[in-house]
Amino acid sequence: MKRFKPTLSHLSRRTFLQATAAFGGASALGLRGAYSQEPEKPAEIIVRAWGGSWVDSLKAGVSDSFTKMTGIAVRHDLTEDNEIQPKVWAAVAQNRVPPIHINWDTTTNATKSALRGVTEDLSDLPNLANVTDLAKPAGLEGFPIVNTYGYVYVLAYRPAAFPDGPPKSWKDLLEPKFKGRLAFYNDGIGFHFPAQVAGGGKLEDIPGNMQPAWDFITKMKAQQPLLGEDPDFTTWFQNGEIDAACTISTNAREARKNGVKIEWVVPEEGAKFDTDGLWIPKGLPENELYWAKQYINHALTKEAQQVWLDGLGLPGVVPGLTPPKDLVGDPSYPTTEADFKRLIRISSKVQVENESEWFSKFKAIMQG
Amino acid sequence: MRAARTAYPLKWRIMDALEGVAAAIWPARFKRATPYLMLLPAVLLVGLLVLGLIQIADASLRTLDTTTFQFSDDYSIANFRRALTEPLFLVVAQRSLIAALIVTAVTLIFAFPYAYLMVRTRSPRLRKFLLIALFLPFFIGQVVRAYGWLIILGNQGMVNEALGLVGVAPMRLIYNYPAVLFGLVQYMLPFAVLMLAPALTAIPEELEAAAGSLGANWVRIFIHVVLPLARPGFIGAGVVVLTLSLTDFAVPAILGGGSQDFIANAIYDQFFRTSDQGLGATLALMLVALGSILVGLVFALFGAGTLAMGRSRA
Repeated sequence: MKRFKPTLSHLSRRTFLQATAAFGGASALGLRGAYSQEPEKPAEIIVRAWGGSWVDSLKAGVSDSFTKMTGIAVRHDLTEDNEIQPKVWAAVAQNRVPPIHINWDTTTNATKSALRGVTEDLSDLPNLANVTDLAKPAGLEGFPIVNTYGYVYVLAYRPAAFPDGPPKSWKDLLEPKFKGRLAFYNDGIGFHFPAQVAGGGKLEDIPGNMQPAWDFITKMKAQQPLLGEDPDFTTWFQNGEIDAACTISTNAREARKNGVKIEWVVPEEGAKFDTDGLWIPKGLPENELYWAKQYINHALTKEAQQVWLDGLGLPGVVPGLTPPKDLVGDPSYPTTEADFKRLIRISSKVQVENESEWFSKFKAIMQG
Repeated sequence: MRAARTAYPLKWRIMDALEGVAAAIWPARFKRATPYLMLLPAVLLVGLLVLGLIQIADASLRTLDTTTFQFSDDYSIANFRRALTEPLFLVVAQRSLIAALIVTAVTLIFAFPYAYLMVRTRSPRLRKFLLIALFLPFFIGQVVRAYGWLIILGNQGMVNEALGLVGVAPMRLIYNYPAVLFGLVQYMLPFAVLMLAPALTAIPEELEAAAGSLGANWVRIFIHVVLPLARPGFIGAGVVVLTLSLTDFAVPAILGGGSQDFIANAIYDQFFRTSDQGLGATLALMLVALGSILVGLVFALFGAGTLAMGRSRA
């Protein structure tokens, strides 16, 4: 990609806000390229994204409309979030220009990058004035990341495999008939916390005492579950390899869109609720940083969120969004206080500091 | 008087000029060092690898601080202690090693008759067919081949559909240890055949004919003539298959269903999933050490085989 040298010697907060306000107003009026204060536009900006329906939704909701407004092309880099992270860290450490402008990342992963100090501060985005508390990363100063939506690790299942009705508890998966017919994430993400409750433990004991979770996961190991990543779940459901899985509702919904009969529930022990966000790595030329910020600012508009998150089937961070028709009242699309009470939220700080140990423990059980 | 153009053509002049440049860069007095110059690319390549290993060794001695996600300035052996004491890594190492040994043995058993037939057949058509069948998989990457097995052996795959026709219920043929071994053998077979074929070509057919004319049946010829003479090929093929299997990543990841990780998968997890590059570097170093020890052991016991490039063992 051709990189442009910065045209501004210093992009102050005030300048950014002035330019952003001009951009926002002019955009609303459809005045493309009519701003005197905006920095030089790069030919494109690169947004790291997840593939499949994830990137399709981002493109439809945010990227296409951003290009239409600014004339800047958006390239989606589908490198896995875990794989881009060391590349970005290395680029920042070596004072190189990072390989992407914006990272669409899990909040936990993004928090690691923020703690390492490789993220730009996004506190000056004007549209942050209109977002809910969900957008603010917990335990971090300012906005090194902006959370853009929440999601639930539901218990997705094939109704045909549960003729007596939907599963009520994660313990229902221990029935012998499900041996070899279950799936979890290969590091156990999404399952550690409900397993703590299903194993008889308390959420308040996380991270100090998670033995109940490990005991329950050990029982689940006897069921010989498959372990994979997001795309695997959709494929496994479609190919009839599994009857139930702990997965993000978006993957289950995608399988349903592809014609697979699939439902999902939040079991009585609860289901993990988490967030994803957008962040910008340090080291970009000033003009590219400006436009990357504009992209994130645009992603926080009601219009962009509505289309983007309709595609993903997830609740956003801007008030007044309308849930997709198929998800009205769905536990995977929490909107009310009562909905959130059924979900498990653990602070990013606790997750970031302990995730490595939890992953190792889960792997040790499942690989043993 | 001007020389005719044909007497000293342009090509020659260009060659003269090039020779002049070469002589300026590498004068004749350096002639004795020319063979060492040929070694330079290899030295550079190995040098780069060694530099990388030094960096990995440095990283392996640093621990991750999960409050800042920075690595320690001090050196410690904490990562090595973890790698040697945590059950996960021992299980994964054991699984990788056993798989490498099984895959090597099975691959050599399958590769030998294939290579023998390919070398000895009198039919050019059959030889061509065997060669094409051998090289075709090289044009299809390992990942694509592994996914191909998912399609063939999956619950709704061709094999289970065929079994369904005779009333057998679908069975789980993938996402287990045997599936990983199967995938690795299929992947390694062409490598082994290619390493065995030159060794078999080097065995004079007359030796087999002579043994036959002296009354040996094909079993005795095989055991007493072919196998001993093919030993360099077996060693070369064995070393290649052993090291490639031991360090494989894609087949366990795709055909193992997430529960049959090898060491390479564990290294990936540390680098990319938990951001602990120190522990990942430690595991990588240990994998290099394990592979080197195994290869050293084979060389010490049996020589370098075809990898010695035809020179006999000292």
